[in-house]
Amino acid sequence: MKALRWTLVALAVFGVVGLAQAKLKVGFIYVGPIGDYGWTHAHNEGRLIAEKTLGIETVYVESVPEGEVETYIDLLVRQGCRVIFTTSFGFMDGTLAAAKRYPNVIFAHCSGFKRAPNMMSYMADFYQVYYLNGLMAGALTKTGKIGYVGAFPIPEVKRHINAFTLGVRAINPRATVHVRWIYEWYSPPAAKEATEALIAEGCDVFAFTEDSPTVITVAAAKGFPSFGHYSPMYDFAPAYVVSGQLVHWDKIYVEFLKGVLEGKYTTKNLAHIDYWWLLSQEAVELGAKRGMVINPRHEAALKAVKVKTPDLGEISVYDLVYARLAQMGAPGVSFDPFQGPVKDRKGVLRVPEGFWLSYDALITMEWAVGGVVGPWPGEP
Amino acid sequence: MSWRLRLERSVTPSRTTVLLVSLLGVVAALVFAVPVFWAYKVSPWTAYTTIAQRSFGSWAGFMEVLRRAIPLMLCGVGLALAFRARFWNIGAEGQLLAGAVAATGVALFTKIPAPWLLPAMFGAGFLAGALWGAVPAVLRLKLGVNEVISTLMLNYVMIYIVEWLVHGPWKGKTMRGFAYTDFFPAAAQLPLIPGSRVHWPTLVIAVAAALVVALVLSRTRLGYEIRVVGQSTDAARYAGIDFLKVMVAVMVLSGGLAGLAGVGEMAGVHYRLRSPTHISMGYGYTAIIVAWLARGSPLAALFTALLFGLIFAAGDIMKASLQLPAQIVGVFNGLILFFIIGSELLLYWRIKWERGWTGKPGSSGS
Amino acid sequence: MDWQTWLIGIVGRALAYGTPLLWATLGEVYAERAGVVNLGIEGMMAMGALMAFATAQTTGDPWLGLLAALAVGGVLALLHAFLTVTLRANQYVSGLSLTLLGLGLSGLLGRGWEGIALRAPLPNVTIPGLASIPLLGPMLFQDESILTYLGLLLAVVLWIVLWRTRWGIVIRAVGEAPGAADAVGINVALVRYLCVVLGGLLAGVAGGYLSVVYRPAWTEGMSAGMGWVVIALTIFASWDPLQAVGGALLFGALYHLSFRLQQWVAPELLKLMPYAFAIVVLAFVGLGKAQRRRGAPAGLGLPYVRGER
Repeated sequence: MKALRWTLVALAVFGVVGLAQAKLKVGFIYVGPIGDYGWTHAHNEGRLIAEKTLGIETVYVESVPEGEVETYIDLLVRQGCRVIFTTSFGFMDGTLAAAKRYPNVIFAHCSGFKRAPNMMSYMADFYQVYYLNGLMAGALTKTGKIGYVGAFPIPEVKRHINAFTLGVRAINPRATVHVRWIYEWYSPPAAKEATEALIAEGCDVFAFTEDSPTVITVAAAKGFPSFGHYSPMYDFAPAYVVSGQLVHWDKIYVEFLKGVLEGKYTTKNLAHIDYWWLLSQEAVELGAKRGMVINPRHEAALKAVKVKTPDLGEISVYDLVYARLAQMGAPGVSFDPFQGPVKDRKGVLRVPEGFWLSYDALITMEWAVGGVVGPWPGEP
Repeated sequence: MSWRLRLERSVTPSRTTVLLVSLLGVVAALVFAVPVFWAYKVSPWTAYTTIAQRSFGSWAGFMEVLRRAIPLMLCGVGLALAFRARFWNIGAEGQLLAGAVAATGVALFTKIPAPWLLPAMFGAGFLAGALWGAVPAVLRLKLGVNEVISTLMLNYVMIYIVEWLVHGPWKGKTMRGFAYTDFFPAAAQLPLIPGSRVHWPTLVIAVAAALVVALVLSRTRLGYEIRVVGQSTDAARYAGIDFLKVMVAVMVLSGGLAGLAGVGEMAGVHYRLRSPTHISMGYGYTAIIVAWLARGSPLAALFTALLFGLIFAAGDIMKASLQLPAQIVGVFNGLILFFIIGSELLLYWRIKWERGWTGKPGSSGS
Repeated sequence: MDWQTWLIGIVGRALAYGTPLLWATLGEVYAERAGVVNLGIEGMMAMGALMAFATAQTTGDPWLGLLAALAVGGVLALLHAFLTVTLRANQYVSGLSLTLLGLGLSGLLGRGWEGIALRAPLPNVTIPGLASIPLLGPMLFQDESILTYLGLLLAVVLWIVLWRTRWGIVIRAVGEAPGAADAVGINVALVRYLCVVLGGLLAGVAGGYLSVVYRPAWTEGMSAGMGWVVIALTIFASWDPLQAVGGALLFGALYHLSFRLQQWVAPELLKLMPYAFAIVVLAFVGLGKAQRRRGAPAGLGLPYVRGER
């Protein structure tokens, strides 16, 4: 009798331990601190949602320098992680090397382009959202000059600025977007000085790529509207944040990890998996904060400006934003900011009439669209 | 008869005293860090054993410690030399990056064939670092420019030069527009100890450099002059020592060694030039502490560099394996330093028990 | 754009960015005049920024926040003074550890304070009357922070103290020849403690300015290397409070210009402009007064031990 009782207890214990061991352990390697309220913060939010939704166990490491990614992958694998996400372009080669050394671990690399049977790549991009922001900026500017504080002149940021400018020009064909580069992803003083420089040039609406709300607060102090970036920034200046770009990494994380749990994604079949998720997959969202597409305080101004569009006739900017949002958000995407004809600012035709830009052209974009004013390192 | 305690100044502590006292400092810091672990619900015992296991408790861990220590060794030896001459070289960061730039230039843009490419890279890196270090020396001796400011400023200048290169003229064609140069060809990549990421040729160079510098300091005329300059400016002047020659020689060596560290990072770790803050993660500044702990001895710097390699590796483990917040590492390192500094006090005081008679002047007993 | 608007803009930005540099430099000038180098300014500014933000956010009063920043800077400096003056430790390394500790601790304690807009920032002021003076008015008296004016006032006061009072003589003596000062009965340790703590107090306020005035929010690493610039500025200003004003303003102007001029010069090369400029200026200055040595206090960086001379 006693033996039976103990056997049952042992079985129960092993069962629990076994179940516990069966829980998938997923590691996340971040390039910055989770408190940056930008890129890394958003990835971490995605991780938390995935953890809760799927009942998996996650661990993370922050502020990992690019050259050290392999060291941290080693440590995470040692801990039992069977899936590892590396969230910065600079981690790409390290992740690939590690993927070769650990063929039984699944790797997922963000914003890169190299893959392996056990390594996929993923990205959520904003260019469509920036176009919609541009439509609003074009309607709201009184001086015709819009300021953009950019981090680094890489294709991703250039693509965003171009989409933004195309939106601006769709409303105001003579408006210009003035660009200043700060050469850091995060630097409040640099962002502040760059914004002040743009204000001094006469810009009165602002957008940016920088991991802090500095541009918003500086612009708001002078009474200028702006667009939030990456995380909900409405609260930093409720009267001045018109809209912005928001990201939902959890959509990708949940979908992929679900696939791993169900056996759809294994260590052998990832070489062609490349997530390029946009509005229609809900990986990105237009808004000043979750659920606020357009700041109500600016609705009237946007409704007052009307434009003529080739496919929707005469329409207010407010309605145009929602219309384009619907077109890009539906599964059968019927509109793209870069649909031809598009000329760069030197007059070279980059997208012929009737064409859209290919994925490759989008991710290697170096040219500047007409209307962009300012330094553009690496311009072809 | 009564015993009493007497604090007596001891001017030159013995080697063993120095070692013991520094160790005492480290141990005290580890004890002080215990509440920090408690605050994050990690048992200090688990923490320390995990760190020990994953660092020097395993081959892979020890390799990691070694890998982190390599640039610290090279920079540390160079700085030990500079500090012996009392030239406060805060510019090892910039000198390291200068070496990295030179190595990249040679690797990507010259047609030097295979067996000579790596030696050429090291040579170019040494020269670049030496130049970047010699400028502050000349500025100080000819124009009285304080070297703390000139070396510090030159750090920033080199950082932005690297930024300019990777975003502009040297941006790679295969990097999809991101700010990196192209990958180095295989002939420009250093061999690694199999199963680890330790680029052993650089390690060999570091040890050799320590030996060479130690020899120079103790056996050559230049070394003698350096030591005199470091001890007393007046004595050096009376001895007719040419300050300019000595300082430039010191900084050529100091900067050159940091440049070699930069080459090692390029050819052994990154294989291309990238954003400067990801190449030198404060190695130049940490090396200041490495050199200080070594009390200016190039050979000792090899070991203090290993200690810091261990501290860095421990930081990685704290972040990854113990899931402590990233900022813990800075707090931890700061604490260790504080205690080591504080323990310095013990170096200069000796506690002596004395047997004393009331009414009679105390005799020094033992 | 006419040159007046340009000038007003640049001076305005120079004052704004130069204010924290000025406060911290003034403090470091005094510390170094007494013979103690403090490389821990970056850590003190980081902690000051955090304490100011957290206190201002909790209490709703930005001045309390600045007071808290002042206090934390002073405490950290006290630690530095204890290590370097009483324990006679190496000043450079002690300062470096303080920076490490300050940055790490502020990052650690600051978790949870990010992403929040300060509800009670310290607003700028415009001085009525004076602001209407043509050109000078908008340049100097419009939309500036109270801390800017206080900083300038402080610079004047500290200059007077250093060069025109007995206290100044004492401080300078302690820095130049501690042995002689000791022989005359000056309490070298006390003077050094006071100057180092003053340096910490001012560095703390400089950090507080960043999070309560300049950009009212907290994010890790927001001091962004300013502490190192302060070290350089101290030397650049020849350890003189009024020259520190010039240096801080110059640096602020150059920093802002590096964004304004991006249209014409490569951005990265512009960013190195302030630093290269500092060296060039010092080199020229060196050319000019090759004989007259207006350099560092002779006892700078060395611990003073009675009887060891």
